Amino acid sequence: MSEETSKNMKSSAFSLAIYLTAFLSGLLVLLYPFFLPAISPQTGFASMRQGQMPVMMTVLLGICLLVLLFESQGTVLNTKLIALLGILVAINSALRFIETAIPGPGGFSPIFFLIILVGYLFGGRVGFLMGALTLAVSALVTGGVGPWLPAQMFTAGWVGMTAPILKPLARVASSTLQRKKPLNDNVEIVLLALFGLAWGFIYGAIMNLWQWPFIVGPQNQSYVSGMGLVSTLQHYLAFYMVTSLVWDIVAAAGNVLLILALGKPALRALRRFHQRFGFRYETGLSVASRSHERGITE
Amino acid sequence: MKQPWAWVGWLVATLVILSITRNPLYLLLVLLCVVIVGISVQQSSPGFTRPFSLWKLATWIILLATIFNALTSHFGTTVMFTIPGKLPLISGRITLEAIVYGATNGLVLTGMLASFAVLNIALPVRDMIGLIPRAFFPLAVVSSIAVTYLPTTMRQFRQIREAQAIRGHQMRTLRDWLPLWMPLLVGGLEHAMQLAEAMTARGFASPSMPSKGATLYPRLAMILGLLLLAGGWILQLGDSETAGLILLLVGAAFVLGGLWSVGRKSHRTSYHRQDWTWKDGLGLGIALAVLLLCTLSVPMLGKETLFYDPYPSITLPAFNPFLGAVLLGLVAPSLMTGRLRDQETTGNEAVHPAGS
Repeated sequence: MSEETSKNMKSSAFSLAIYLTAFLSGLLVLLYPFFLPAISPQTGFASMRQGQMPVMMTVLLGICLLVLLFESQGTVLNTKLIALLGILVAINSALRFIETAIPGPGGFSPIFFLIILVGYLFGGRVGFLMGALTLAVSALVTGGVGPWLPAQMFTAGWVGMTAPILKPLARVASSTLQRKKPLNDNVEIVLLALFGLAWGFIYGAIMNLWQWPFIVGPQNQSYVSGMGLVSTLQHYLAFYMVTSLVWDIVAAAGNVLLILALGKPALRALRRFHQRFGFRYETGLSVASRSHERGITE
Repeated sequence: MKQPWAWVGWLVATLVILSITRNPLYLLLVLLCVVIVGISVQQSSPGFTRPFSLWKLATWIILLATIFNALTSHFGTTVMFTIPGKLPLISGRITLEAIVYGATNGLVLTGMLASFAVLNIALPVRDMIGLIPRAFFPLAVVSSIAVTYLPTTMRQFRQIREAQAIRGHQMRTLRDWLPLWMPLLVGGLEHAMQLAEAMTARGFASPSMPSKGATLYPRLAMILGLLLLAGGWILQLGDSETAGLILLLVGAAFVLGGLWSVGRKSHRTSYHRQDWTWKDGLGLGIALAVLLLCTLSVPMLGKETLFYDPYPSITLPAFNPFLGAVLLGLVAPSLMTGRLRDQETTGNEAVHPAGS
């Protein structure tokens, strides 16, 4: 095994370890109300420290996000992806800008459509960057920078990062159904729409977790220190149903409608450019020397 | 005060203080400081328009937070009135304690929003991109391209819409967006192709960029740091708060150290570097001093007065005049603002890898 191959394998193992630890650490931060009873049966948690928790959560999520961004950016160390990502983020931020100026109903947001498609076609890392940077750049231009931003970037990044899991599903579905090409496209779009539907709810549920422990509400919906896991889940579910379900139904339906209406041609265009972006630049010297090695004289 | 890091210091101090106190008197004082700084920054940035009115937004936030909490939280002993019937959530006693708690939450949210709004006015977008650490230079370039291309995208969208309208295109269903969306997307992708060629022609992404193999040790430090952070988080949630906090600090140091180590290898140039002036140093120093005095236990300041809970029976919030005087330090940037937006034309910063 060459030294270069061994280095690459080591680097891939590091990458996997970084993604896993950053993802799990982020989840630990967000899901703490559910496992807190197992590690601390105290009941006085909601006093002085409750004021510090949002800051600590923001800082820790921010650090996890920094690590994930650093690891993901390794894929965009070439001009083609930098330019492509920059332009796609600009287009998506423009969509959010329009959404801010003319708010859609409920939680509808047009940005997840492109994040899902880009993640699906260009891979999880590019999808993660697309999601996280869309939220960051659009927050910069709409004045939406706030303590919620790391959680938003983290979650939107994961929308794009998880999109490639649909690829094997689409392959299996196509081969099972023995479909021809145009129908294969339909299978793909339906899968992407279902994925958008699921993330419409998951995104809302995760973003709620960021604030739920600090909201004082009805007793059966609030977070109460010292409750067991099942009771905490029941309270959160009740809170989610009352405050967020309708909002997220609109968000999920918006994702589905956008993907069904605009997804197919957008996917075709992105796929065409994905192939066009597949070329490699080579310096004149290296091309000449390879031609020489192959015995080609021009 | 023009240096972006000095503004970040002020923002951090304001946010931390807003997060650790629920005392409405201190919250009002902090909000007053933020508003004064906001007004002075607004006056120093002629021509800058906010996308929304902060006053209207603040009124809505405080009003909504108060109403929401009053209607949904029926705790407290001072009953104002009772909503009869069996309406889910709403029916029950409306208490003064719930109203005060809701209004306090609204004040915190307003303070946070207002302080970010001040930062948005004080710093041009290019300065904010300049704050991206060196380790993230590809992302800084991506953000820079996105921010630069955004107005062009908006202009293109308007042009496409006008062109389609001239052809008689009408927007009735979602699919009618297709003739607007596709030219915008394809045009953008073509532009990306040209941009990539131009960047390569100018020598961007040369082989001298740090490879992944060269970052193994910093990445190892990051993994260690993340594990320490996770361990520290669990410990501080449990009974070992101090040990947990120490682990959290060590973990954060590992992660940030790893990033710093990678960042050292990328070179950054600025057309016009924003130098530190004595005003920037003083502004940052005051912000950090306020932050430290409010978070550490200084005997005279009465840190415990920061905490206030109106439940179960409302009481008057305590107020320590010394702590109040310390909080007034957050108004310092308003005394040090020059013409902030002058720097917008000179704040162009290029981020590129070493050797390119």
